[in-house]
Amino acid sequence: MSIEVPVKTAGMTQPDSAAAPKEAPHPVAMQVKGLNFYYGTSHALHDISLDFPERSVTGMIGPSGCGKSTLLRVLNRMYDLYPGQRATGEVIFDKQNILNSGVDLNVLRSRIGMVFQKPTPFPMSIYDNIAFGIRLHERVSRSEMDGRVEDALRRVALWPEVQDRLSASATALSGGQQQRLCIARTIAVRPEVILLDEPTSALDPVSTARIEELLDELKTEFTIAIVTHNMQQAARCADQVAFFYMGRLIEVDSTARMFTTPREQQTQDYITGRFG
Amino acid sequence: MKANNTLMRADRSASLLWRRHICDKLATGLSWLGMLIVVFMLGSILWTLFKNGLAGMSVHLFTMSMAAPGQPGGLANAIVGSLIQTGLAILIGAPAGLMTGIYLAEYGTTSRMARIVRFVSDMLLSAPSILIGLFIYMMLVVPFGHFSGLSGAVALAILAMPIVVRTTEDMLRLVPVAMREAGIALGAPKWRVILFICVRAVRAGIMTGVLLAVARVAGETAPLLFTSLGNSEWSLDLGRPMASLPVAIYQYAGSAYQDWMQQAWTGALLVTLGVLIINIVVRVGTRGGRS
Repeated sequence: MSIEVPVKTAGMTQPDSAAAPKEAPHPVAMQVKGLNFYYGTSHALHDISLDFPERSVTGMIGPSGCGKSTLLRVLNRMYDLYPGQRATGEVIFDKQNILNSGVDLNVLRSRIGMVFQKPTPFPMSIYDNIAFGIRLHERVSRSEMDGRVEDALRRVALWPEVQDRLSASATALSGGQQQRLCIARTIAVRPEVILLDEPTSALDPVSTARIEELLDELKTEFTIAIVTHNMQQAARCADQVAFFYMGRLIEVDSTARMFTTPREQQTQDYITGRFG
Repeated sequence: MKANNTLMRADRSASLLWRRHICDKLATGLSWLGMLIVVFMLGSILWTLFKNGLAGMSVHLFTMSMAAPGQPGGLANAIVGSLIQTGLAILIGAPAGLMTGIYLAEYGTTSRMARIVRFVSDMLLSAPSILIGLFIYMMLVVPFGHFSGLSGAVALAILAMPIVVRTTEDMLRLVPVAMREAGIALGAPKWRVILFICVRAVRAGIMTGVLLAVARVAGETAPLLFTSLGNSEWSLDLGRPMASLPVAIYQYAGSAYQDWMQQAWTGALLVTLGVLIINIVVRVGTRGGRS
């Protein structure tokens, strides 16, 4: 059973976190409320409340083990794969608490896509890598599929590089190309939210720059949450930034304010490189 | 050691360096020796097979069924019988083994049930093949009152299955967690991720396992003695006794007739070449599948 959430709460800012950017121009796509997360008995996330505004980039930063990736894996229920991991609290998406047991996870994951740290091309052709996800959720004709595959590859600027070898194995692509293919694969399913878990940490600077440019275009259509170890990347790509430390959300604010006038000393210390 | 001595520091032990050097040479020498022994034995077997078997290669061998000593005859019925029984055994054993391997790697993993299945499968892997033959004799021969090609195929399938189980499970465990998660993250149900991503990713390895199984059962004699028995006449009927190369070799090699002994050698050469050819075909065929 899923719980219907009264409409009035959807746009409300969180009183305790003082989190949402004040001039929030976008409605909230996803709202985390009072989230706690446990790996077995280890309490990994403490009472997290965070709004993800629609069609903008939320950057999540913090030292290793602070819980930012954990939070990301809650948002598409990836943690469900592992017994012993559990979450309490609420994650409101499309007026439902997606932590409820009745949620159809396959449908949820088609609406909330994820891109991983290491490129994970499937052991099939470039074309089939894209088509695989589409076929899971839609019945499309051959010609429509060709169009969808081309469109997805164009949007990640991979089309010119691969249009002559769509039937070649995706594993033969370079690391940067593979990661763009993974992003194309994710957007081909037409999700509303895209979660990126350190998507450029395994890539060279040129490939990283291309992915960052890509994020800028994608945010016109998708809500994006990106976990990154790279503070410059957060500054360049994100509209709002959330700083995590030891399983707690310390501060969240617009990127400009976060990197110039953070309210918390811990944030200040982290972004100036005093720890982490 | 001169080159080393020029770099030798006064406070380092020269004897330690020497001991290391000698250990290195000794270990390298021993591993070369081991390799040479194995290659020599293999080469010697192949040489003997070719030397004695080639003489019997003729068109008759492939066109005529087995015949009485002194009569013109071939091994056609045994060749076809072996192909049928081995093929059927793989058709039964490989899918069952594949699915059991998938269960062990993806679903059961560390559960009690999985541990039992894994243990039993490993037991089967090392069980004497004659026991499997006796088991099928009790199950499929005695109740029907006659030997049959089908029971031979089932006995071979039981031998093939644990090999496929083990390789499938081992291969699937090599698939990175990230690949599984990427499939799940697209909204794919678990069975689709397993079949279309994980199994695909290691298909070359699984094919190698199936091939090992073919190679293993193609040359088995003992389990067929109580099941398909052997047949000197041409027969494609799975419900009746069926000839096979290993049983024909066993029968002919133990005989006192020159022409039978010659055909036993040639039959042995055929089995060896057959396994060799399948090996090469699968290796070439799956080369593209490795990432």
